[in-house]
Amino acid sequence: MTEPARRSSELTAYLSHELRNALACIHQFGNILVDGLAGEMSGEQREYVHIMLENASKIRKVLDSTLDGTPDPIEESNEQNRRVSKLET
Amino acid sequence: MDRTKILVVDDNPTIRKGLSVRLRANGYEVLFAEDAISATAALVTERPDLVVLDLGLPAGDGFVVMERLHKNDRLANIPVIVLTGRELAGNRERALQAGAAAFFQKPVEDGTLLFAIRRALDVSRGELRFDE
Repeated sequence: MTEPARRSSELTAYLSHELRNALACIHQFGNILVDGLAGEMSGEQREYVHIMLENASKIRKVLDSTLDGTPDPIEESNEQNRRVSKLET
Repeated sequence: MDRTKILVVDDNPTIRKGLSVRLRANGYEVLFAEDAISATAALVTERPDLVVLDLGLPAGDGFVVMERLHKNDRLANIPVIVLTGRELAGNRERALQAGAAAFFQKPVEDGTLLFAIRRALDVSRGELRFDE
């Protein structure tokens, strides 16, 4: 492995570990709150935690597509829409 | 009847805390280890029913823990579920080849993890075949 390739591989491993652990904490405790395992929440509080979880999920999809090469479903959907738009014009 | 014991091995205390809340809420007894050495000690002294194992650990990684576990006849049948922040490439295949019952990247959906735990326990108790 060349030096730049080795550095790139190390950076990917570092980013994956650090970002996925931080994201897992947000995901775990957000769901603990939503599921009432730490007590009941008001409707408004529940809505805000859902917003946090939805955005954590978006970050996860970006990580999956950039670090692991898993297709990003949002980008795939946008690409499909672009193709449909082209066909329609 | 004794509760099912799950050993959570992760060097991140917040991850350990989150998993313990979720697993205890589902009726499991939860034990902890934060590195490969304390994980090996807990396996021998506590003999858990299942291990949720991170790969990036101090004092030897998760693969070292799996290797030690599978070399010990008394412990070899304990199912291991890998839950890691490491990248997929190389790690998933290596973990499954090393005998992991399942491999997940963080963050994992709670329902997915709980299902994999129940399934791995059923297989290890002979209530389900591995390929079912």
